[in-house]
Amino acid sequence: MSAIASRVLSAGVLLVWAAVLLYFELSGRVANYLHPAFHFWTFSSAVVLAAMAAALLLTRPSDSDAPPIRWPARLFGTGVLVIPLLLATWISPSQFGATAVWNRGFVQDVGDLAAYQPPMDPPLPREDGSIGEGEPMNPSLYLPRNEKGQLQAEAIDLLYAAKEPTLRPDFENKEVEIIGQFLPARTGNADGDRFNLVRMFVLCCAADARPLAVTVKAAPGTSFPEMEWIKVTGRATFPVESGRHTPLVIADHIEPTEPPPETFLY
Amino acid sequence: MSPGWFQFSAEDFSYAFISVLLEGVPFILLGTLVAGVIDQFLPSKTMVRFLPRNAFLGICLSAAMGLFFPMCECGVVPVIRRLIAKGLPVSNAVAYMLAAPIVNPIVAVSTYAAFRGQAAAEFTFLRLGLGFFVAVVAAFAVHNLTVGKVLRREVIESATLQPDAGGVAIRPFGRRLVGALESGVRDFLDVMVYFVLGVGVASVFSTAVNQEIIIPLALNEWTAVGSMMVLAGILSLCSTSDAFIAATFTAFPGTAKLAFLVFGPMMDLKLLFIYSAVFRKLFVAGLAVGLFVFIGLICVRLGVLGI
Repeated sequence: MSAIASRVLSAGVLLVWAAVLLYFELSGRVANYLHPAFHFWTFSSAVVLAAMAAALLLTRPSDSDAPPIRWPARLFGTGVLVIPLLLATWISPSQFGATAVWNRGFVQDVGDLAAYQPPMDPPLPREDGSIGEGEPMNPSLYLPRNEKGQLQAEAIDLLYAAKEPTLRPDFENKEVEIIGQFLPARTGNADGDRFNLVRMFVLCCAADARPLAVTVKAAPGTSFPEMEWIKVTGRATFPVESGRHTPLVIADHIEPTEPPPETFLY
Repeated sequence: MSPGWFQFSAEDFSYAFISVLLEGVPFILLGTLVAGVIDQFLPSKTMVRFLPRNAFLGICLSAAMGLFFPMCECGVVPVIRRLIAKGLPVSNAVAYMLAAPIVNPIVAVSTYAAFRGQAAAEFTFLRLGLGFFVAVVAAFAVHNLTVGKVLRREVIESATLQPDAGGVAIRPFGRRLVGALESGVRDFLDVMVYFVLGVGVASVFSTAVNQEIIIPLALNEWTAVGSMMVLAGILSLCSTSDAFIAATFTAFPGTAKLAFLVFGPMMDLKLLFIYSAVFRKLFVAGLAVGLFVFIGLICVRLGVLGI
């Protein structure tokens, strides 16, 4: 009886994990937690765990030399495996809040970013698709625009443009539309007219996410709830501050918006 | 208004916690499935027969096995647990356990990619070389200890309960397959308990502690190396991706990053818990301190030599 109960309990824990993994995968929430390269493995794990649970329930014990069951430890382990998982699944808002972002600190120099490399190597292709020998491609071919003709830039585009003189003309003094999460500026904001527009850059999973921040200049007192998704349209500039070019968007219009389909940048 | 050094948010904690669980489960599952197959299909003492009789050569070979059988630091623990039960000497198991998450082709490629433009080839060679060396030295230290001082009582009992090769061979294939499943499930549930606890602790630190407090430590070789190892221990990153994080600590000297990349895959908060599924707590604590001091001293010395 004890062995059967233990087997059913094990199968139950495996099924809970399989269900949670499957839920994240099928609901699309997994995209807010993991790099796309890991999605397949999460889904596969769910399938394997479910299959293992089914096999446990449908097969006769193998008579192997299993260690004796210690029920107190067993029940404690089951609690550790199930309760935090379900609680965290329920509580987790699928994005970091302001506390974690402040604690991690902003990346405002793309050179501090993992795997940063200058963008001119290898040469970009010509408009007809042939390899241009060192010629930069017409930016209109790789930079999307909205219906008003404004460049739809990402935070990482502007950080690269600040760092790389060859990319800067693609954005400097151009009208841009950029989406990110609002955080107030705690430093360098003597006139009270600046805030940070934040996007998370991820290598593997949200735990290694680093907040990329672009400074936005707007009417003094402009404010939104911390980490609310907003869309900013305005002019991209790259003034020299603290000895280096930094991206600064002079905002014309700011409005709350829905999160983009991919909340992470990779 | 500047944030304090510690600010906890349950939402941020649960977000980081779930993301690491989702990322880590496939690797632990793979490790436990391999361990289950080893348990039922690898005859006892087979490993011993293939190892060189010379202890030094055996440990070196075990430390290099990650080149052919790469495992991450989470998945390797259930595997060595089964290998020990199958008669692999504990020192060889420790050599494989410590080295495999570093001395493997996936980590070599990711380290090289992360350090492009920062002497990538030299850094990759140093990381793998130091990882191998430290694992061999640690394994030799374990070689001189009695099994009772290293392994948990349950692990020793499971090793002594293993039937001999003939006993395994006479069971029908189907029954052994079910046995592999049962063994894999047992290992998965055991290791996952420690993994969940470790990820919980690591998630508190990675979301609640203000990471800017470590920047002043970069100015001194000793504090830079020590603090980067502490950070590696706290962040509990996967060895396949930690180089991308280390490379971004531009304020820190190269030797501090090297310490981060060698110490982290061998010992971090989640591993403290996962190792406790196999080893005695006192041994795990001693291993943590020993690795911290040994890797720290080597990296500081490398810094003095101008490397």
